[in-house]
Amino acid sequence: MPDSRLLLQDAPNKRALLLGNEAIARGILEAGISVVTTYPGTPASEIADSISEIAAEAGVYMEYSINEMVAVEVAAATANCGVRSLSAMKHVGLNVAADALVTLAYMGVKGGCVIVTADDPECYSSQNEQDNRFYALLANLPCLEPSNAQEAKDMTVSAVEISEKLELPVLLRTMTRVSHTRGPVIYGKLTKPNLKGEFVRDIKRMNLVPANSRPMHTVLLKKAEKAKELSETLQYNTIIRKSKSGKLGVISASAAFNYAIEAIDALDLDASVLKLGMTHPLPEKLIGAFLKKHKKIVVVEELEPYLEMQVKAIAKDYAPNVKIYGKMSTPYFPRDGELSTRTVVVGLAKITRRKLPINFEEIDKKYAEVLKDLPRRPPILCAGCPHRASFYVIKKATDGKAVYPNDIGCYALGFAPPLSIGDGFLCMGSSVSMAQGINKVTGKDTIGIIGDSTFFHAAIPGLINAVYNNHKITLAVLDNQTTAMTGHQPHPGTGVTGMGVPTEKVLIEKVAEGCGVKYVRVVNPFKVKEATAVLKEALQHSGPSVVVFRSPCALMVVRDRRRKGAKIMVCKITEECTNCMACIKLLGCPALVLVDGKAGINEALCIGCGLCASVCPYQAIKCEEIG
Amino acid sequence: MKEFNIVLTGVGGQGILLAAEILGTAALKEGLNVRVSEIHGMAQRGGAVVSNVRIGENVLASTFLDGKADVLLGFEPLETLRSVNLASEKTTVIMSDERITPTELTAKKMEYPSLKEIINKICSFTKNIIIVEAAKLAKEAGNILTENVVLIGALAATKKMPVKDESIIEALKELVPTKHLDTNIKAFKLGYEYVQKYKPKL
Repeated sequence: MPDSRLLLQDAPNKRALLLGNEAIARGILEAGISVVTTYPGTPASEIADSISEIAAEAGVYMEYSINEMVAVEVAAATANCGVRSLSAMKHVGLNVAADALVTLAYMGVKGGCVIVTADDPECYSSQNEQDNRFYALLANLPCLEPSNAQEAKDMTVSAVEISEKLELPVLLRTMTRVSHTRGPVIYGKLTKPNLKGEFVRDIKRMNLVPANSRPMHTVLLKKAEKAKELSETLQYNTIIRKSKSGKLGVISASAAFNYAIEAIDALDLDASVLKLGMTHPLPEKLIGAFLKKHKKIVVVEELEPYLEMQVKAIAKDYAPNVKIYGKMSTPYFPRDGELSTRTVVVGLAKITRRKLPINFEEIDKKYAEVLKDLPRRPPILCAGCPHRASFYVIKKATDGKAVYPNDIGCYALGFAPPLSIGDGFLCMGSSVSMAQGINKVTGKDTIGIIGDSTFFHAAIPGLINAVYNNHKITLAVLDNQTTAMTGHQPHPGTGVTGMGVPTEKVLIEKVAEGCGVKYVRVVNPFKVKEATAVLKEALQHSGPSVVVFRSPCALMVVRDRRRKGAKIMVCKITEECTNCMACIKLLGCPALVLVDGKAGINEALCIGCGLCASVCPYQAIKCEEIG
Repeated sequence: MKEFNIVLTGVGGQGILLAAEILGTAALKEGLNVRVSEIHGMAQRGGAVVSNVRIGENVLASTFLDGKADVLLGFEPLETLRSVNLASEKTTVIMSDERITPTELTAKKMEYPSLKEIINKICSFTKNIIIVEAAKLAKEAGNILTENVVLIGALAATKKMPVKDESIIEALKELVPTKHLDTNIKAFKLGYEYVQKYKPKL
């Protein structure tokens, strides 16, 4: 959807084609959710991005918070003033917010509070495949799981209502195939947002010193009991198909439910299907009765055997003889990676001893033949990306001999040849802290590499740690002036809020100085000589040092030029070229290509950054204006 | 109609997601059920992008079974080949001839496989292949960035889509910025006419 304003249409029963995340944004408007906070992360980003574009007009407050914990804290506080709020993040983002989340369950809320966690089976854009339903189990929170865009919208509204009813925050768990799938959504009525809240002092509930926490834990457990009752009758937990023979029952939720239904149909199975939309707490009686009616039960779910474990526990009390098949013991479905209709068809066929409807083996054999020698096409740094220049400088200044702990963002791609800079990362902000540990025990030059948004998100305590403990590390902040990987959201260094209002720019170099770093410099990565000299100097510094490599994201530069109708720059290879291939060997820029065995430049991709010109030993590359 | 599956495949930045949204919106305009899968974030950065558009009353999941593609809409030859496991002898492949060299090949100083080689491999799955000079036609329309709409025009001309041409044009009007609309409509027409006059050169 190019225009989020369509989400604002007060047109009940209108049918729109929405991305799961846009559907949640519509749900926010229908639910009268008035405060939306986030830290951007794929696959959750478009929820808050859609709201950001229309927040002022809708009368909603939204912010790109500095990190997920802050986002949840802001949302929790507004909800405790009676204002409906929502905080959205990717699965690993909830780890950052977990400290706040688990205690927020004790504190509870007054206005509805929804926490969206977008899981990422298959790690399309993440460092792990964790199953965040366990956070619902851990924190004792209700959890809703939509299977398509319509449910994503409807459940956002329901989540707020359940949250207010139980006075508990509610988790809304989506995943890539729900968040990033478009489907029809029928609009409901809009609810006017209400930003006016009232804070009522309630020390026993909200000041969670141990003496207050203990009774609040008991309160939480009582609320959890109520949530369980609600789960029994909730419209989202329902038997949607009844088998004639009563032999086979399938239990499923979320995107896995779609695969399950299509697989049942592909195999032409006679199966009952219990669809769970609320997966914590589970409707024990409903599941128990379902188990009793069938001989075999198949649990189809993404990631961990979260449902299967609990269904087995319920079976012990209700139907000890029923056979339960899933991911545990003899696994019929993979526990790693993403499910697909195919994996579910194969698993179900094994369980029911049916013949496969498609000869997958034959397709695989033919496909393997096709894939042989087929070059891969992994994600890469874009043509003209300033990070490529920064990596080149870092490599040049250290001769590739330092250790380079890196971080989460586009620059994680620097590990790929030929740049090959980047030695590993754990989570947001890990570059700066890991650098300290590595330097401590190896004594090697260590350069932590982090982006601008990630710096604000999680590097500051690590940087203070480096200063306080005098770790001799260098932190290279690759500042491209935006949160590029997730779709160019603003952050404290960009000078604009999520509401689109200009604001105080927080300068990374000032923050570093404020943390007590004595050597702080800002360089332009495309000025290779100067930047290299500065980085070398930084490595000589006796304590921690920070070098900010500042140059805007190439995608923003191009977009900006196109918008303004400005001249487009491209690099061209002149007759001086000796075909030494230095540009291709050193940089790995996608615009540098082979044309009949010679180095050439793809004009459609090149943005004229000139980095290749600066590495060419024969001055055979020139930048020119075209168009 | 129970199920109609299109897979769109190519490289990040080619306008694949917009093309998929246009097709999905056209289906919705005719009151059909639809699912459009997208790839965001990491996978878009010059990497391979695959989007599925599924239309029909039985459609729930965003992806579909091997061999079940009705149409494979390829924006780039190598990436078309990479998704060929979704095709069967019943599938129509509509493929742009515009090649984008993976950096891996450049680094190893290896040549991009010839179009003939790629077509031969596709033929082991299906022989219904239409090669479209999408980049050339997009430039002719006035903007190289309209390659995606040229391919949509080509798809429409095959009459495989279970929606009317008018619905696709309506979706285009809704989703393309007004100032680029004329160029895009021209691109659609050029792709359409190209297929109408198409003589296989296999």
